[in-house]
Amino acid sequence: MSALTFHMQNQLEAVDPMVLALKSHLQDKVADEVLMRFDICMSEALANLVLHAKTEQKDAPIDLMLDFDGELLIVDVFDPDGTAAFDIRKQARALSDVDVMAESGRGLGLILECADGVEYGPVQNRRCLSLKFQARN
Amino acid sequence: MIHTSKYAPHIVVVRPGVERLTAINSKAFKEEVIALIEGGASQLVIDFKEVSFLDSSGLGALTGVLKRIGHRGDLVVCGLNSDVTQMFKICRMDRVFKSYLDVDAAVQAMSESL
Repeated sequence: MSALTFHMQNQLEAVDPMVLALKSHLQDKVADEVLMRFDICMSEALANLVLHAKTEQKDAPIDLMLDFDGELLIVDVFDPDGTAAFDIRKQARALSDVDVMAESGRGLGLILECADGVEYGPVQNRRCLSLKFQARN
Repeated sequence: MIHTSKYAPHIVVVRPGVERLTAINSKAFKEEVIALIEGGASQLVIDFKEVSFLDSSGLGALTGVLKRIGHRGDLVVCGLNSDVTQMFKICRMDRVFKSYLDVDAAVQAMSESL
């Protein structure tokens, strides 16, 4: 599969449809367990970006790129224009440190727990969260 | 959003009414279930049979509901598919919520504990 690009409105209503659109390109190509972890990561990453990213341009779309070579699945989530840098690797709390009765605070830790690789940094003059998954366990 | 059924005089089964319980709808879910509690319901079964996915917001809403019930009653879950079960385990929520195969099993267990 060649890399696919997607654009999502920076709105909470757009998160679930975006995740389902991404998953539709992966059905029967990756293990169910991997698809589940992908679903968790994308739902958390996109919701976090929409709800919590500090941005001066709330209307700027979120661009994504999905790349899969049959073994390694990579999804890049580009920060919308005008968004302050936010490296989830430095902000996430380990799930084991979150009170089981807490009503929030699990999202970023879930991404680190469920993705096989997490990177964040500049790509082509933009900042990008890159999540990697091995297609088969 | 939610659908409810009374099974025994004091047991209410709640179906979230969505396929994905996520950031877009978890707040409404929590508010509607808390309204049930404030209306007198205290023994709740949340039936996830038709829920294919929930995220951290959904789990947070569930925790919020459990805290609202407190010692006045109980809340259990049932009908979790493999993905939702895994989400509970990853977040250690399987230690917090009793889980049953289906509504009948949950209602029976809850009835016996009353």
